[in-house]
Formats: sequence, structure tokens, C-alpha cells
Amino acid sequence: MALTTAPDPTRRGPGSDRAHAERRGPGRFRHSEGLAGYVFLSPWLIGLMGVTAIPMLLSLYLSFTNYDILTPFSEVEWVGLANYERMFTADPSYWHAVRVTLTFALVAVPLKLAAALGVALLLNRAWRGVGLFRGLFYLPSLLGGSVALAIVWVNMFNRDGAFNSLLSLFGITGKPWVNDPDWALETLMVLAIWQFGAPMVIFLAGLKQVPTELYEAASVDGANRFRQFRNVTLPMLSPVIFFNLVLETINGFQGFTAAFVLSNGTGGPVDSTLMYTLNLYITGFTDLNMGYASAMAWVFLLAIAVITAVFFSTGRFWVHYSDGEDR
Amino acid sequence: MHPATPPTTDAPVGRAHRTPLPRRRLLRGLLAVTVAAPLMFGAAACGDDDDGAADPNAPVKLSIFWWGGDARAKLTEDALALYTKKHPNVTFEKTWQANQGYFDKLATLTAGGNPPDLFQIDDNYLAEYAARNSTLDLTPYQESGKLDTSKFPKSLWQYGVVDGKLAGLAAGENTQGLVYNKTLLAKHNLPEPTTGMSWEQHIAWAEQVTAKTKVPGTQDPSADYKAFWVWLRQQGKDLYEGKDLGFTAEDVTKWFDLWKGARDRKATPTADVIHEGNSSDITKQLVVTGKSATSWVWANQMPDLKKNTKDELGVIAYPGDPSAQWARASMYWSVFKGSKNKDVAVDVINFLNNDVEAVKLLGTDRGLPSNQDLRRVVSDDTTDPAMKQSIAVEAELTQKFGESPQVPIKGHSKVRSELIKAAENAQYGRATPAEAAAQFVEACKSAIA
Repeated sequence: MALTTAPDPTRRGPGSDRAHAERRGPGRFRHSEGLAGYVFLSPWLIGLMGVTAIPMLLSLYLSFTNYDILTPFSEVEWVGLANYERMFTADPSYWHAVRVTLTFALVAVPLKLAAALGVALLLNRAWRGVGLFRGLFYLPSLLGGSVALAIVWVNMFNRDGAFNSLLSLFGITGKPWVNDPDWALETLMVLAIWQFGAPMVIFLAGLKQVPTELYEAASVDGANRFRQFRNVTLPMLSPVIFFNLVLETINGFQGFTAAFVLSNGTGGPVDSTLMYTLNLYITGFTDLNMGYASAMAWVFLLAIAVITAVFFSTGRFWVHYSDGEDR
Repeated sequence: MHPATPPTTDAPVGRAHRTPLPRRRLLRGLLAVTVAAPLMFGAAACGDDDDGAADPNAPVKLSIFWWGGDARAKLTEDALALYTKKHPNVTFEKTWQANQGYFDKLATLTAGGNPPDLFQIDDNYLAEYAARNSTLDLTPYQESGKLDTSKFPKSLWQYGVVDGKLAGLAAGENTQGLVYNKTLLAKHNLPEPTTGMSWEQHIAWAEQVTAKTKVPGTQDPSADYKAFWVWLRQQGKDLYEGKDLGFTAEDVTKWFDLWKGARDRKATPTADVIHEGNSSDITKQLVVTGKSATSWVWANQMPDLKKNTKDELGVIAYPGDPSAQWARASMYWSVFKGSKNKDVAVDVINFLNNDVEAVKLLGTDRGLPSNQDLRRVVSDDTTDPAMKQSIAVEAELTQKFGESPQVPIKGHSKVRSELIKAAENAQYGRATPAEAAAQFVEACKSAIA
């Protein structure tokens, strides 16, 4: 978002040159170089403006209208805060979706990070074939939001899916996981947790950065494995944990594909997988309430911004950057 | 960001600006432009060519959009090729896709100012589009005879009228059909269900099927708006009356109670299997996946079902008095109001419905041909036994059909999904029928408001 404040390439007033000159030192700045920079930048900049910034601002406008997709823009009616009012006072399914999303994020994100960290610790050793395992554990997250993966998941966790066949070997009768409103969301959480590869790789990189002297010093002081983990690894890793936490929380809130595929785009059974983004999609494209859906999107953006801000403000209490350097 | 720069720094900067550019920098700049320019223009060049000509023989490219499978695509492409053969100046830009996501795409195309000239639509969305003036009123063409509906059953073309305007023309006719597994019943010496059985008789029959075959006798249709609709009409009610609901929470409670009773008697599958049937497309309905002996579908879907099972299937009307069923437009062809080629688009609709060769090509894929003379031709011609069956049952029911209801109103698609939600709430035992009914009616009111 900060990008929108970048200097406008078409504006060549002396003021802007002055600012550049000041930043780069007197006389060093060459106008042509700046121009070349902007020209190279332009495909991306045009993309950003055309595909992201302008549509985003437009959706802010639409969130105050009754836009329904089919009506031309020129006939759209301004409804003030009606969409926001409806969201907060008159739409139980909106709050249901908020609950579903929060439940999902609160469970899936910590477990995913724990799994990623745990496996990263295991793989941070010089075993033979450790590279293969790193690759294998990373693989699921490459499949990311893929539709094919979600379809496989649905078939695995059906009443007569592979998972229940496995359970029956142990004499356990499984449930129709994906078709049971009490278990469908949990099935999605397991899918999300299983894709812990991306944070795992980042954790691995972070673990490699921890200086071995610290562990040596700790063991000289008689600290056991657990103490070493708690007092050396975790603090040294805290910037990486912080990074992964912020990123995965945002990801968790935005989960869409798996819920969409699992429920055939309905959020079912009985709204148990009605994630925020899925509810937004249904409101905009199935029910044709695009103005209202835009309002939901903006509230969502603000909510994520607030949560991220909270993370950043608490970060100063638990995130340690080693010897004052920035990473 | 930066504090205001004092004016004294102005001079040196200005001088620096005027110093001649070193050659290397200039070359670098030029290189940048040559590399970047194509990228920019490539991104910016979104070609839109329009050839809006008044000359009747001028070349016309008509965009047409429908949902369906490969079979429908093949038939439709053949029929359109036939049109091009007769009118060489008209060619088609054909787009088709599966049902899921079709209406999202259609809405997006419309919003983007790039809707197809001619598109397929169903009663789920017809009123949504008509109410927003996206569809062309076909009445003037009907009056001038350019769109010939003289051979259509009156109730069929009337089922395309929204607010006094003919918003879409029926591309075919269908009606509710209860499909059952003949092979299974024969194997266990069970009687086949018949048209005219009461709901109670149907459930008792299904209970008996479950007991003998271990396959649940009937899919629970309480989440199915078309079954609910037929049942309502048999109670003297309707789904909609004008801009309002045609039923009350008490009616819904009775409907949910009926099926709760059926579930308690084990006449239906368990809730998760019912849900599976509710959320699957036609190829995975329970009657073909072997998870129930009966499925609630549209009669013209018989061939699709038959393709997915080796068992013999039979089809009858839904339980109760069959006069609650009607000649329903299975889907419509509509013309986008802003189309530059309205007249040609209407002529194509007329061709697809009234040209004997085209109708023969299309068969009963979109339902029975709307043109009754041609319907006879097609039914004499067809060799597909499943298609023959669906034609036979519809021909029989045509004698018993009642009046068409009004086209479902704006908000109908939400009403449908709310019914599924409420019915499943009751099926999973998360709400009593009365609670689910109250919740449903409440949600409907805000959906159609």
C-alpha cells in the first residue's frame, strides 16, 4: 500500500528533483537514470494500478452502494453506510462466517507453526538423506491452494474414503468426516496443518543462523537440551517465528480454495465450512450483492490490519534481534 | 517525509540538470525504453473490435454462451454450424462450461461490459437478470412472428414471462421426475412405485425397500426446492405469490416433519449421505451411486443418469397428485439487451427451436423440444432408450399437467440454498423441524426483500 505514495513519474517539478538530489547527494543524480528506472518499473506499476490499486479503491466506493454486478455502474445507487449496518446488525450468517474463520485460524495456525518448527528441528541435523526428507516435507505446501489437492482430500475423508479404511484396520468405525458438520472444518484444519512446508523451510534457515557458540556456552553452563531450546533456540529464532506467525495468520484468515471445493461452493454441510472469504464470494457472485460483498472485503482488510498491528506491538516484548543489528 | 528543502539548494541542482548527459547513460536510457515499451503496450493493448453493421448480409459474429457437458457442446455446435450453412454471413463465438461457476462467469461478463449476445439461463436466475433489465424483451419479435411460438404449449412460453416481458424463450421442456432403480427392485421382488402414489405410500414403499435390500429406499428430498414446490402446490400453496413467499413456516414445518418421520422409519439414507446427494451434480446422484433406490431429479436428466449406471432405471412423477407438476422450461435462451446483433440473435433462437433439422440434431438434451410438432418428430426418431423413457413419461404427464406457476422471483437462488441449509440442519438433528422452518422463512424474507 505504501507503494501508492511513490513519486509520480510524470511529475517533473523542481521540487521532486530536489528531493532526489538531496537523497543521493548533490550533483550525483542524473535525470535520465530516474526516468529509465520508472520506464523499467512501468509494467509492474501499470499492473499494480490497473489490477490492484484502482479496483481496490473502486471496491471501497462500491461498498457504499447497492451494486449488484448486473446493473451498469452509471445506475448504481449510493446507500451510505447501509451495507456496513447490515453486516453488524442484521446478518447472522456474516457473524457465523466470522466465527468459523476465527476458529479455523486459532486452531490451524498455531498447530501448523508448531508442526513446522518441530519438523525443522528434526531436520536440522546432519543425517544421511536429510535433504530428501526436507524435500518431502516441503512438497505438500508446493501444492498450496490447489484444487486437485482439495478434491483428493474430500475423497480421502469420505465415509468410504482411504482414511476410514485405515481406521477400520484397527477396528475403528470412522465418521463421514467431510460430510459431517461437526467434523468438516476440522478436516480443513488438518489439510492446512499438513501443508507446513513453507514455514518449515523458513524455520530451517533460521535455525542455521543460530551461532553454535551459544549452545556450547550453554552446555558448559550445564543447560540440558530443553533449557537450550528454551533459552537459546527460541529467543534466537523469535524474529523468524514472528515472521511466520504474521504470514500464516494472514494466510489462515484468507483460506478459500479448500473450503470452496469441499463444500461445492456452498460452505456446507450446514455452513460448517463457511469461511469469511467464501461467504464474501457467495454474497458477491451467487447472491449478486456485490456492494455488500465489497463492504465485507473492506472490514476484512481492516480486521487483518488490526490483528497484524497487534502482533507488531506485542512483538517488542518477545522478539529478540541479536546484538542490536537488524536482520 | 522530507522537510522542505531550503531554496538555496536550487541552483546547484538546476546546473546539474543542465549538464550534458554522458553517452553511456543515454544509451542505457534508450535500452530501457526499448525493452520496456513492448511490455507496456502489450499490457495496454486490449483489443476490442466492433463491427456493428446494419446491412443484413454484412458479416456478423454472434457470441453464445451455455452450460453443459461434452455431449451438449457437440449437439449445439452442430446445430449452430447448420445455421451458418444457411446464413453464411453469421458465425459464432461459442463458449461453454460446466454448470458450476456458469452464473458467476455470466455475471462477471455482464459486469465487464462484455456479455454474450445470446446465452442460456434457467428459472433460477431469469428473474434476476430480467428485473435488472439485462435481458431483451422478446415480446415484439413474438408479435411480429419473427419468433414463432405458435407450436409451443402456451404455459411453456409463458413460463419465460417476467413482469409482463418475455425475458427468455424455453429451450426445452421438462418436469420433475422420480427415478428409481428397476434392477434392484426386480432382484428383491419388490413392486415398482407408480405415479399417483401418495407421499405416505411412497415413504412406506421406501421403508420396505430399505428393509429388504439394505439400500435406503429414497433420497430425502426435504432440501430439494422442486420437491417442496410440488408438495406445496398439492396443499394449495405455491413457492411464490407475486413478490412474496407463497407459504408459511407452518407449511415448512409439516414438510420437514414428513421427512423426519421417513428418516426415523429408515426409508432414507443417513444425513451425511443425503448431504452428498444434495451437493453432487447429476452424475453422482444416489440412485446411480447405489446409495439409495430413488433420486429426485428432472425427467430429462434420465439419459445422464443412465450413462453412470449399469442398472435399469425407471422414471415416474413425484408422489401425490401429478397435476401439481407443470410444463417447466428446463432452460431458456435469452438475448442480452445491449447486444448489437439483437435481430440475428433472436433469429438464431427461432432456428434452434423451430427448424426441423436443428431440433432433430439437438434432440432432448435440453428437455423435450418446445415445438410440439417437432417433439413428435424427435420422439419417433430417437433410439436412445433412456431418452425414450423420459419422453414417454413426459408425454403421459402432459395430459395431467396443471397451470404453470409464476417464474421464481429475484432472490430465488438464495431461497434454494437456504432451504438446503435448513433441511440439513433438521437432518443432522441440529434443529427441530419447527426451528429449522422458522429459520428458513426468516432467511427467505431477507433474501427476497
